Amino acid sequence: MKQVKILFLIAFSLLGLVLASCVPGGTQPAQGWSGITLNDGILYMGSMDGKIMAVNPSARSQNLSFPADGEWEYPITAPSGGGLSCSQTSASVAIYGTPAVDEALVFSGGYNGKVYALNASARSQNLDFPQMRDNEWFYPKTSEVIGAIVGSPVMSEDAIYVTSSNGKVYCLDKHFGDKKWESDILAKKLWSTPYIEGGKVYISTFDGHLYALSAEDGSITWSFAIAYPKIGFVSSPAVYEGTIFAGSFDGNLYAVEIGESEPLWNFTGGNCFWAAPVVSNSTVYAGCLNGNIYAIDATNGTELWSFDVGSPIVVSPLLVDDSLVVAAESGNVYVINPKTGIGERIRNPGNDNKPTINALVQASPCAQEGIVYIRGQDNCLYALDIEQGRVIWKFPLTTQ
Amino acid sequence: MAELWNLIILNPMLNGLIALSSVLGGSFGLAIIALTVIVRLILLPLTLKQLKSTKALQGMQPKIQELQKKYGKNQQKLQQEMMKLYKEAGVNPLGCIWPMLVQFPVWIALYQSIMRALATTPESLLNLFQHLYSWGVVAQAIPLDSHFLWLNLGSPDSTLILAIIVGGSMWVQQKMVTAPSADPRQKSMNSMMLLMMPFMFGLFTLMFPSGLSLFWAVSNVIGIGIQYWITGWGYLRRGTSAQVVTKLGGKGGITKRP
Repeated sequence: MKQVKILFLIAFSLLGLVLASCVPGGTQPAQGWSGITLNDGILYMGSMDGKIMAVNPSARSQNLSFPADGEWEYPITAPSGGGLSCSQTSASVAIYGTPAVDEALVFSGGYNGKVYALNASARSQNLDFPQMRDNEWFYPKTSEVIGAIVGSPVMSEDAIYVTSSNGKVYCLDKHFGDKKWESDILAKKLWSTPYIEGGKVYISTFDGHLYALSAEDGSITWSFAIAYPKIGFVSSPAVYEGTIFAGSFDGNLYAVEIGESEPLWNFTGGNCFWAAPVVSNSTVYAGCLNGNIYAIDATNGTELWSFDVGSPIVVSPLLVDDSLVVAAESGNVYVINPKTGIGERIRNPGNDNKPTINALVQASPCAQEGIVYIRGQDNCLYALDIEQGRVIWKFPLTTQ
Repeated sequence: MAELWNLIILNPMLNGLIALSSVLGGSFGLAIIALTVIVRLILLPLTLKQLKSTKALQGMQPKIQELQKKYGKNQQKLQQEMMKLYKEAGVNPLGCIWPMLVQFPVWIALYQSIMRALATTPESLLNLFQHLYSWGVVAQAIPLDSHFLWLNLGSPDSTLILAIIVGGSMWVQQKMVTAPSADPRQKSMNSMMLLMMPFMFGLFTLMFPSGLSLFWAVSNVIGIGIQYWITGWGYLRRGTSAQVVTKLGGKGGITKRP
């Protein structure tokens, strides 16, 4: 009887442990939410299965087999295993940042703590990586890694800037991947995307600082912290006419004039402003996790209008011609008049009751000529025609 | 169902844990320790009930063994006699299990709270915001500092220290309540059980984030404290085993600590 009870308890404990570890939302695995960059008619993005991909929208609209002209894919892998496992294998790497593209070179940061420069021509030919003569490289050049990279890489004329989970900003030579400088440790970890303007690199940190670094040597030229209460910044910064805008963990959007020590204004939303705001014509467009997109006067923080999209907004809105395109996490996509705040949902072609796309949206979209490209968390790429108000094609990024 | 679970159990515990971290100077490790102590204190009445039931059952072991010897070949009769014995002694044989079952959801919620609060991946951090209250004290603590002593609470402990503490404290706790037996089969079974659980949890410590292992270690230490308070060192003290068994047989329980 006693043995049975003990066995029962052991089995029950193990079952509980297994169930507890299977409950969604515990520690969610890193899957990535790489956004899309459009360059010279080709879309570049990271896929959910750890590939950097080049997709030709023209080929996709004709439903040609992949890879068509200008298309390629390259899997980013890293050694895995060790610990309790007996063998070491390689696993795909999560990619969060939106790739930066300069002519033939595509720059991307991996959650494995490496920065990659891929040459489109070499990748199209499926040559071994890296092809030095094609200016391909990875950083660090040894088997070492910097901290996990979550923010997007940002380019200047001759350099690439990336933030790392080790709390530093790295400036790398664009053509050879040599380190030009690394900053001091600015926070326990940096997940934000830097903003480059006027020879300065602007950074927001989880521990509540805004920094301006010299793009030349990484030295801190200005810093700002909210005096009280001590709150961290969750969103990446946006800079507009000498003012930096960033969302904080306590549900405020702060505007701080660069060089000042007090905020210009702060705007309280119903939850966090997770994504970086977009600023245009003295208006700040900021998506909130409470499901509202707010238009705020950039000069004084007054709310101009708000629009409820019904679910959290985790990606920055997109200004396309005279429209503001807002993707809700639920998969619904809205086209809003940026002046009036009046808008409507792009309908799902299959079922009007379903979201615009049948997947979560956590990756930054991009647009060209009235077409918005969105990568869903179902690892599919969607093309939405704003004028027609419908999805015109869908392409699964998981290829054979 | 999941929403109800989040609303009633998980969210209050998660926000409490984060608020504690803020109050305790931003130390998530101290917050885990504090919340484990608070939860164990809240569950103390159930724990005491469970221990008392276990103690009573252990006290009946000699009589049960006698019955097993007498009716070993007739299982039906054996069950009848055992139930009769439990009834006469006023003991519910499942009395030590129900309090544990009631505690189980709380442990799962505590486990989930720790894992969610750590938010080690970007996805986890984004998900965390769905569960947070709009309390200033909570917002100030996010994101949590995952470093505590030598540990990164979001990753398994790469040293063996925490695994040894978790496994060792679990062994001590079990040893305190595992009655020695004269029956070789029972003895072998006890020895196996005594090693198996600490070994398994030691192994889990090497696989799960150390924030969770810290919770196991603290919980075990508190368990040892409560056990000591009720029964003293119990069967842990060598050389007194036989004495304890004798007393158990006579009085139906473990001797109170001197």
